[in-house]
Amino acid sequence: MAEAPTKLLPTFAATLGVLMLGLAALAWATDGGRSFTTEALRRSQVARAPVVLPEFTVVDGLGQKQSLHGLWAAGGKVWIVDFVYTRCTTLCLALGSSMQQLQAQIVAQGLAPRVGMVTISFDPEHDGPAALAAYARRVKANPAVWQVLSLARPADRRQLLDSFGIMVVPAPGGEFEHNAALHVVSPQGQLLRILGLDEGAQALSFAAP
Amino acid sequence: MRAWQASAAGLSTAAALTLSLPPLRSLIEQSMVWHMAVQMPLLMVAGALFGVSCGASCEAIRLPALSWLRSCNHYGLSGFMLTLCVSAFWMLPTSIDRAVVLPAVDAAKLATLWLAGLALQRSWQPAPAAVHLFFAGFALPMMLWLGLYMASADLRLCNAYTLASQQQAGQALVLWAGAAAMFWAAAWARRSARAVAVSRRVTVHAAPPSPTTPHRGRAGRRRQTLPASQRSAARQKW
Repeated sequence: MAEAPTKLLPTFAATLGVLMLGLAALAWATDGGRSFTTEALRRSQVARAPVVLPEFTVVDGLGQKQSLHGLWAAGGKVWIVDFVYTRCTTLCLALGSSMQQLQAQIVAQGLAPRVGMVTISFDPEHDGPAALAAYARRVKANPAVWQVLSLARPADRRQLLDSFGIMVVPAPGGEFEHNAALHVVSPQGQLLRILGLDEGAQALSFAAP
Repeated sequence: MRAWQASAAGLSTAAALTLSLPPLRSLIEQSMVWHMAVQMPLLMVAGALFGVSCGASCEAIRLPALSWLRSCNHYGLSGFMLTLCVSAFWMLPTSIDRAVVLPAVDAAKLATLWLAGLALQRSWQPAPAAVHLFFAGFALPMMLWLGLYMASADLRLCNAYTLASQQQAGQALVLWAGAAAMFWAAAWARRSARAVAVSRRVTVHAAPPSPTTPHRGRAGRRRQTLPASQRSAARQKW
């Protein structure tokens, strides 16, 4: 019943080949077995090679428009950036409170001249200047430290999210779910590092070593 | 019979492909259940049904490429390995996200999962119990573990799907792992029953050992009277 060993050689070679190809595909997809989720992949890619962010025009709670690159460059600060939509009642509350803690630490450690904070809404249709101002009041944003902004042109939304690697998914009840994180941006407008919401202290020590 | 199987293969293939095209694409973009627990298994089932429907006529095709493929798939080893690698790849959260966002990756998903189903079906008969056990013992716990993890984790694994959608997909994956295990067990039971029947027939006839021709296919094997030296091998196999 057993086949001659030489007849089985092609099968062993093919099985080994399939296994090698499969492992190579798995290694390629997971960055060598390090990142099994898109979020982990995004973070490690940015940590290895900073991303130059495109230019956008943003609007603040007073309705004033400005260039985002102009904002990054102003005062030579390093920025910690997060994304929200102001109607959010779920994750953004956690995001808001971790940003609040960050603001308190920046003020307490006297880091305000070196580190700034920016919250950008990815829902420009709903988040006009009035909604931004209300959100800033709700999270007690100190304007010297923390700016709350939205896109001046809603059409830029897709490009903004893609450049940071944010995916926004519609959820039941008109809500959105999105990968929430703290993004560290250099004065030159480079995305340097992406950290988790619970990693505020690390974000701060990375931004102001 | 053949026509029924062929139309089932065609219909399931068409249904799985349609899910990747608008307007139905919104289903797999919005729900992980539709993507991971409907479309992906459907692709494998469609590939396997294609293998069933072409059955003997596939075996009769004497293309050099096909006979070369068969010579590389003794005991169904390569086919099982292909199915295992392909299914492991498409269980990765990064792969699922990419298939949602990148059309080229989605096309690769359609092709590889369908082929994996076909490869599994073609390798099913020639594979001995050890090969079945090894791969079932690998793939099914992998599915079960991932399903349980997805159903219970509070962490979003895919950026493309909501947490609620991921939890439902996890439950569906657990069900699929259970269904696949039951299907496998039923196939084992059927095969071992057949092997017992074959060995009984051999004992009753006690026919003088005749030079056996290399046999292919189920029908040929069932009527085979095995020489004494091979009886124990047949019994061992199942």
